[in-house]
Amino acid sequence: MPVNYQDIQGQIKKMGEMEPQRLQALNALRVQAVALLAAHNTNLDALQDWVKQAATKNQNLRCAVPVAEPLMAHFPPPPMPPQVVILAADGSQINPSRHDSVPFGVINVGAFRMAPGSGQAPAESVSSELITGDDLYAPNGGAIGEEVVALRRDLREREMLAVLAAAEHEDSPGVLVAALTDGPLEPFVREPFNRPDLSDLYMDYLKALRAVVNPFTATAGYVDKPRSDLLVRLLELVTLAESGRLDRAGHERSLPGVTDAGLLADVLRPGERSAIFALQSRTAQTFTDEIAIHFFYMNVGREGSPSLVRVEVPRWVAENAALVGMLHAVLIEQCHVLGNRPYPYTLHRSHEVAVVRFEEKDQLKTMIEMELRSRGISVDGPSNKQATKDNSGKRARHE
Amino acid sequence: MSDPIEVGRLLRASTTGCVVGCRLSQWGVPSFGALLRIPLGGSSDYQIYGLIYDIHVDDDGLVRQLATTVHVSEDVIADNRINRNVPLEISVVFVGFQEHGRSLHLLPPRPPLSLDAIYTCTGEELCQFTVSGSFGYFRHVLRNADLPVGEMLAAHLRQAAAAHAAPGTAFSDPAWAERATQELITLLRDDYPTLMSVLGALGDAGIAFGQMQGGLS
Repeated sequence: MPVNYQDIQGQIKKMGEMEPQRLQALNALRVQAVALLAAHNTNLDALQDWVKQAATKNQNLRCAVPVAEPLMAHFPPPPMPPQVVILAADGSQINPSRHDSVPFGVINVGAFRMAPGSGQAPAESVSSELITGDDLYAPNGGAIGEEVVALRRDLREREMLAVLAAAEHEDSPGVLVAALTDGPLEPFVREPFNRPDLSDLYMDYLKALRAVVNPFTATAGYVDKPRSDLLVRLLELVTLAESGRLDRAGHERSLPGVTDAGLLADVLRPGERSAIFALQSRTAQTFTDEIAIHFFYMNVGREGSPSLVRVEVPRWVAENAALVGMLHAVLIEQCHVLGNRPYPYTLHRSHEVAVVRFEEKDQLKTMIEMELRSRGISVDGPSNKQATKDNSGKRARHE
Repeated sequence: MSDPIEVGRLLRASTTGCVVGCRLSQWGVPSFGALLRIPLGGSSDYQIYGLIYDIHVDDDGLVRQLATTVHVSEDVIADNRINRNVPLEISVVFVGFQEHGRSLHLLPPRPPLSLDAIYTCTGEELCQFTVSGSFGYFRHVLRNADLPVGEMLAAHLRQAAAAHAAPGTAFSDPAWAERATQELITLLRDDYPTLMSVLGALGDAGIAFGQMQGGLS
């Protein structure tokens, strides 16, 4: 059956009628947030203290923590260093499915390297890992889920960057290296230490991130179109602290819907970065010492068309002005390559290298089936559900 | 045109022609109208000859996006030409084949296969192929209404005439261009529009056919 457009049309109309009112209310909250930001621009000690207090009351508290720069600080990009190597890694995966004729997973990690102005041609590399047999099962016996495959992919990205960055330093000691990944540095997993299928991978991930630590390497996670409200949540603590209700931190929201990007859109001019903040979160606490997660926002857009992104960096980068400056300059220049759709070119290319297509999954499935059959091992067909879907899909309107 | 250069590898083929895919970085040597050869099974005992009649550069979303930006750096251009799978397709019309050293201006008995390597011809190979027989390969070009016949023949004659005029080249024949033009006039004597188009292109390419022009009026 097609979508019931009549039903949807009514709902779209209603949404359209309510949107101006919603946006008006949101803007009023944004104005409040901007006022709080300005009022507490240099009140860093008190803010740090409130975060500390609130975190003791709510272990799941997630917000920004000011470090040393005023909340509204904004910095133009420094010039590009004369010599820099940009590395980017991205991964994609095929999640194992019990509906397939043979269960298997694949992690494909693509890397891209360019050294602007060096005369060296950019280079790409790819590494593929097949997940079959016992690897399809968690230590407690159940089948591994998408979360495990995703964390394993993040780990492989991180490991590949560590190897590539080390090779750069071996070849050219002292050269500045920007090592980029798409998305936050903090993997999106909940309670990794309470999950036997995730805990080892998570520890390996932290180890791989630590392996990149080098005074000449700036590693960063690039978050495009962020919806995060870490800074806004910090400002909400102000209201709670002033009314003596810090114990409600993270539970009561006074600025719901306001995002950090909305808050800083008028603060950051094109090319500028914000102050650097530390991240308060439960899982971020596992990123200790030199890999403690920090972040800043950056306007990669043009005059009249701001486009804010969040850049996550470990502490060893955040505390090294030369690395922050290099990263800032590199990211702005990389975004300019793609014109009016600013996004780092190297990250896009690593994605292109890594991406696994549906037809490739079919090809791999056939290769595995052939290998098993050639050894006299029978292969189950797909599940009845999958087979029926595949058949009806041949005349489906949407694929 | 001295040393043979691998142009690319075969994407698809029929008995009348093929399409060759190559990386942009490999580009620069073969040109429109050039004679290429495809050794079958890696052996030089049997190879197919063809003329380039189209060179197609494909695009994709990223290339389109980059093309609209103010400045595209050399690094990005190099990346797109060397690493990205933006194919450059060369279309070739078969004009003959060589078997055990003997060149025949006939369509090949069987087409080359996927990923067969394609090479440019040296000046000597070009002379050897063009002097064998009596210009029978022209008919493979002339009968194909979809080809830019005049432009293609002009480009081919210009390259072949230069090879034949080069001193010390085996199989060279300084009078080849004149004989080739005469043959074209003969073949096209009943197709005035095509003849005019071909002669116009030959004239633009600087191929002299003054002696024959007298006989045309």
